[in-house]
Amino acid sequence: MSADADIRYVLQVENIHTYIGQFHILEGVSLKVRQGSITVLLGRNGAGKTTTLKSILGLTPPREGRVLFDGQEIQGNQAFDVANLGIGYVPEHRAIFRNLSVVENLKIAERKKGDLDRKADFIFDLFPDLKRLYKLPGNHLSGGQQQMLAVARALVPDNKLLLIDEPSEGLAPVLIEQMMEAIRELSGTTTVLLVEQNFIMASQLSESYYIVDDGRIAHQGAMSDLAQNKALIRQFLGASVGGGGK
Amino acid sequence: MKGFWRERGRFLVVIVLLAALGLAGWSGMGQKSFVRTMLSGLTLGALYFMVAAGLTLIFGLMDVLNFAHGAMFMVGAYAGWQFYTNPTFLFGLAPLILALLTGLTATPLLQPVVVNWPIPERWQRGLRTALFLAALAVGVIGVARLDVLGLAETAMVASMVAANPLTEATPQEPLATFGIRPALLLVAGLLAALAQARPGDATQFVRRGAAWRHRAVAGALLALTVGAALAREAGPLAVLQMDANWRFLLALVAGTLIGGGLGVAVEVSLVRPLYVRSQFLVLATLGLAFVLTELTQVLWDPLAYQMSRPPLFSQPGKAESILAWFSQHTTTVNILGVTFPSYRLFIIVLGALMLLALGALMNYSRLGMIIRAGVQDSEMVKALGINVRRVFTLVFALGAGLAALGGIGAAPFIPVEPVMGDRFLMQGFITVVIGGMGSYGGAAAGALLLGLARAFGDFLALKFSLSPAISEASTVIIMAVVLLVRPAGLFGKEE
Repeated sequence: MSADADIRYVLQVENIHTYIGQFHILEGVSLKVRQGSITVLLGRNGAGKTTTLKSILGLTPPREGRVLFDGQEIQGNQAFDVANLGIGYVPEHRAIFRNLSVVENLKIAERKKGDLDRKADFIFDLFPDLKRLYKLPGNHLSGGQQQMLAVARALVPDNKLLLIDEPSEGLAPVLIEQMMEAIRELSGTTTVLLVEQNFIMASQLSESYYIVDDGRIAHQGAMSDLAQNKALIRQFLGASVGGGGK
Repeated sequence: MKGFWRERGRFLVVIVLLAALGLAGWSGMGQKSFVRTMLSGLTLGALYFMVAAGLTLIFGLMDVLNFAHGAMFMVGAYAGWQFYTNPTFLFGLAPLILALLTGLTATPLLQPVVVNWPIPERWQRGLRTALFLAALAVGVIGVARLDVLGLAETAMVASMVAANPLTEATPQEPLATFGIRPALLLVAGLLAALAQARPGDATQFVRRGAAWRHRAVAGALLALTVGAALAREAGPLAVLQMDANWRFLLALVAGTLIGGGLGVAVEVSLVRPLYVRSQFLVLATLGLAFVLTELTQVLWDPLAYQMSRPPLFSQPGKAESILAWFSQHTTTVNILGVTFPSYRLFIIVLGALMLLALGALMNYSRLGMIIRAGVQDSEMVKALGINVRRVFTLVFALGAGLAALGGIGAAPFIPVEPVMGDRFLMQGFITVVIGGMGSYGGAAAGALLLGLARAFGDFLALKFSLSPAISEASTVIIMAVVLLVRPAGLFGKEE
C-alpha cells in the first residue's frame, strides 16, 4: 500500500486514534520520521506523547489509523512482533528491571544470541559508567545510571528505530549533557523519535519537531523555525520554555 | 548500613522466628518429640511449597489469583494414582487429546496461506466464530458415547477390591470404530486452528522462519496420536507389568506432564481472554476448580482412595539409619532415635530438589531472567520483543505441573479424594502472602514456617489437650504478624 516515494521515511503514523479505557487519548495523530534523523515530540504533560510512542509499538493499540514501519503496516499486531521488526523502546521513568543485574538488563534485550557481545564495545563507549557496574543489581544504580542503562538496553539488538521517552527527566545537568551526546552519536547509526520536555535539549538534538496537544498534532516543522517562534513555544510548551529543565 | 539491614531484614525475621520455635521446642519437648515434630513440619512444608511455588509465580507474573491451583494438586494426585494403579483411563483418553492437540498446532502452518484468502473484512469475524462452533460440534461428535465411566472404573476397581488389575482389563471399543474418534478430533483441532489463523486478515504478520519446527512438532504429535491409539490395551498392561518402583517414577512424570498440560489448556482457553478483565479471573478460576472437583466426583465417585506406596518405601521393618535404608527400603527409618516413615523423608527431599531446580531455572536460565523481569514489568518485556504470552503460558504450565507433582507425591500418604486440593489451596495462599507475592524463595520460607507451625501446633494441642484448631489458627496468626511487620510479605518488594 505504501507509496514508493515515501520509503525514506522509516516511520509513518497516519491519523491514529487511541483509547485507554473510555478515554479518547489520541484523536488523529499523524507524523513522519525520516531515516537517520532525530525527530522530537514536544508538548505538555498529558498531551499524548507517551501514548503516541506506545501506540506505534502496539502497547496501546490504536483503534483507527495506520502505522507504517519501513513501508509495512504494523498496527494491530502484537507489541513483541512489532519490536522484533527492529524498534527499540526506552520508556519514561527509567523503567529498567531493578531486580535484574546490569548485565541481565542488557542480556534480556538480545534478539539473537551474541547480540550483546557484538554491541558491548559500542555501548560502553557511549556509557563508560555501565562497564564498571556490570554485575550490580539494577536497584543499586543511581537515577542517571538507570537512565543510561535504559537507553543502552535499547541498543543491544539492531534497531532501525528508537522510541525514547524523556531521557533527561530528573537528571543532573552534567548527565543531561552526557545523554545528549550519546543520543546525538546514535543518530549516525539509527533513527530516533524522541519525547522531550526539556526544550533546550530537544532544540539542540533534532531537526524536526511535532507539538502534541490534546491528542492532536498542533504544530510541526523544522526545529530552526520553532526556536525563533517564542509565542508558539509559550502557547504549547508553557513552563518548559527556555529553562534547562528543573 | 540502613540499606544493608533492609535487604537482610527479611532473612533475620525468618531466622529469628525459626530459632524461637526451635529453642522453645528443644527445651520444652525433649529431643525425640522435637525431631519427630520437626520432620512432620518439614514434610508438610514441602507439600505447601509445591503448591505455593506455582501460585506465587503465577500471581507475580500475571496478577492472576489462581483459585484452580488446588484442583491442579488434586488432578495430579488422581493422575498419579491412576497411572500407578491402573492407567487404562489415561491410555484410553490419550489418543483423543493428542489428536486434538495435533490439529491445534497447525495454526502457524495454516497462517501464511489463509491470511491471503480474499475474505471481506466484515465477514472475517463471523467466519472465525463459525469455524470455532464447527470445531466444537465435530469435537462433540468425536467423543459422543465414549464409555468414559467404564474407563474410569478400572483404577477404582483395582484400588477398592485390590483385585489384580492385570485381569481386570475392560474390553475397549475395537480399533475400527475407535479410530473414527481421533480422526474427528483431529478435524476439530484443525478447524479451531484455522479460526485461530485469522483467514483473510492480511495485516497480521506472518512470522518468518521456524516453519520446519512447527512441522516437526505437528508431525511428532501425529505420530504420538497413532501410537497412543494403537497402545490403548497394550500400554496399560506394559505399565502394570513393569517394576513398581519404575512405575511410580513414571507416575510422577506422567502426573506432572498431565498437570502441566492441563495448565496450558486452562491458560490458553480460560485465562488468556480474561487478562484484560482481570476481575473475572477470580470467578473463572474458582468456577474451574468447582468443575474439576465435580468432574472427579462423577468419574470416581466422592470416595477417598489410598494409593499404595512403591516397594522402595514399603518393606516391613525399620532401618537403623538412612544409610541402612538405602539397602533395606523399609517403611520406617530411625533418625536421631525417632522412628519416621521413609516415604515422608522422600517428600522432604522432593521438595528440596524442587526448590533447587526452581532456583537454578530462575537464576541461570533465560526463561528465569524473563520471568523475574516480567514480575516487575511485563509490558517492558513485551516491548523488548519477547513473546510474553508464551512465557505466561509456560509459567502457568510450570505452576500447574509443580502442584500436580505435589499431588502425586502426597497421594501415598493422604487420601486421594475430590476435595483434597481445597485444604492445600488455602495453605498455599497463606504461604504466598507470608513469603511475598512473586518470590519463589519467599514461598519456600513461608511454606517452611507454616509447615513447622502446624506440626508444633499439633504437638502442643496434643500435649495440653487443647483443640486441634489451635494449630490451624497458628498459620493465620503467623500471616497476621508477618503482614503487620512487612505488609508485602517476607520476600515481597514494596513498590
